[in-house]
Amino acid sequence: MRYFIFQIKNSIEDFKRNKTRTLLASLGIMIGVLSVVMLIALGIGLKNYIKGQFENMGTNLIMVMPGSGFESGFNAGAFTSSISLDERDVNSLRRISDATYVVPVFFKSAVIESEGEEEFGYVMGINEEFFEVMNASAEYGSILTKSEVQGRSKNVVLGYSLADKLYSDPSLAVGKTIRFNNQRFKVIGVIEKKGDNELDGSVVMSYRTTYGSINPDKTFWSIYVGVNDEDKIESVKLQAEEALARRYDKDDFSVSEQDELLEVVNQIFNMVNGVLIAIGSISLVVGGIGIMNIMYANVTERTKEIGIRRAIGATRGDIMAQFLTESVLLSGFGGVMGLLVSALIVVLVHPYFPIALNFFAVVLAIGISTLIGVFFGVFPARRASSLTPIEAIRYE
Amino acid sequence: MIKLQNVYKTYYLGEEKVEALKKANLNIKKGEYVGILGPSGSGKSTLMHIIGLLDKPSSGKINLFGKDISRLSDDAISSLRNQKVGFVFQQFNLIEKFTVLENIILPAQYAKYELDFDPQKRAMKLLKRFGIYERANFHPNEISGGQQQRTAIVRSLIMKPDLILADEPTGNIDTKTGDEIMELLEGLNKEFGVTVVIVTHEPDVAERTKRKIYVKDGEIVTRL
Repeated sequence: MRYFIFQIKNSIEDFKRNKTRTLLASLGIMIGVLSVVMLIALGIGLKNYIKGQFENMGTNLIMVMPGSGFESGFNAGAFTSSISLDERDVNSLRRISDATYVVPVFFKSAVIESEGEEEFGYVMGINEEFFEVMNASAEYGSILTKSEVQGRSKNVVLGYSLADKLYSDPSLAVGKTIRFNNQRFKVIGVIEKKGDNELDGSVVMSYRTTYGSINPDKTFWSIYVGVNDEDKIESVKLQAEEALARRYDKDDFSVSEQDELLEVVNQIFNMVNGVLIAIGSISLVVGGIGIMNIMYANVTERTKEIGIRRAIGATRGDIMAQFLTESVLLSGFGGVMGLLVSALIVVLVHPYFPIALNFFAVVLAIGISTLIGVFFGVFPARRASSLTPIEAIRYE
Repeated sequence: MIKLQNVYKTYYLGEEKVEALKKANLNIKKGEYVGILGPSGSGKSTLMHIIGLLDKPSSGKINLFGKDISRLSDDAISSLRNQKVGFVFQQFNLIEKFTVLENIILPAQYAKYELDFDPQKRAMKLLKRFGIYERANFHPNEISGGQQQRTAIVRSLIMKPDLILADEPTGNIDTKTGDEIMELLEGLNKEFGVTVVIVTHEPDVAERTKRKIYVKDGEIVTRL
């Protein structure tokens, strides 16, 4: 212990004499740790964000989509499919007794115009059950009723952020007229903010109103099936598959629960995280090489000191320990600094985006920076201890 | 205490082979006060470095404190230097970033066993005795050459060594201070029975030693 303190005191003594060099050497590690920790934090943030979006949808939701969907893993071709869902499918799904809600969802991006303002947004065609399934109520005005849906009403409801963008205040949207596809619609309400980019940015109308110029094929992007009783989800899912299999090939559509979707999203983000960490690690290695460089210079500059220490009885191990202590302290210092800066950034950004530090990232950062100190410190330290005392003392 | 048998030291300066030491045979007993004399480049420093375990011989046998050095590991040799040998160099070889006191107790930090004394207290006692007590917290570049050499001597004594090796100890200081340093070394030999070996080419210094070993062209000779 006394010896340990002696070595650490030795190192600190030396750092004090070379403040700039010490700081610069640690900076490399600091940036490396910062990038690894921040990339992990960002990955977690993205995951939390997406998860939040899913949670905004009502629970116990089954999504029917054309294509093989998420089930066979995630691939680019998953959404391209020969089949299109239409009202016949909606009706066959309605026959499932435990399916409380069946919502056709038409979805398309569009440029929406109102009072001379143009905004990019989406058009959603749905039925009145959509609001139940999505757990969405009106912030201002009202939502669509069954009769409006059935009667192909030109009344629409705006997502919160779209209303916000079009009008200076979302509450002013009610009663206004919007235009797209050369048609006029009357805004009767604004949905509360859901944190879902698509829904918040949409013009929501009756699916039947989309028939015509907006949706000439009368097809849907997806059909949502809401189930009140959680225990019935599996059986509804199976029945939905059966119902659709009568019309389509099994590979041409997919029926998935929200949980499965979440799992796929998790998988994707674990992969993304891995890539991000790999990128961050490169800067850690670069930082480590910086430390090695400094330590080599250090050893050369202090060869005479090493010789004196050897002459008065320091073993090779003592000299090794001295330089290793220095490089570990250097990189450890950089690591802790990097971590502190990351923590600060996380605290600052958190109100806007749900990034977070996790235990794994912290352990990884501290562990790796210490390891780098040892790894890149060993070579210079070995060199320092390999000279005979007299060679070292005479070195100028 | 020191026995050298047929010790050679050869090294290469580029292509040129230099025989710094040839067939050196030597026997120094405990408590002796010995001068190693010879012109510069004669190999006397090499001889001292080999005796002091700072350098390895190319061939030959060395027995120090009753131990065959060739059989010892580097750690054991380091530990011998630490416990039994004290060095005083012409260039003082103090560590500049440490204070006088820190320099002096540095050998104690490398001791691999529990010391039977408190290095701090011993250092202060020695500093008083050698008249540099007030300089304990100065750095080497803040004190005179004579004071630096005293510091080096105190450092060499901190571990209670059996052997002091001094390589041109008065070479870098004025004559008056040089005399004082020599008196100090003599005193150590007389009072504590420490074996002292001094390498020098100065006749005055050589005059004061009790036994003289002459080195010429890498060989130990009876006289110059």
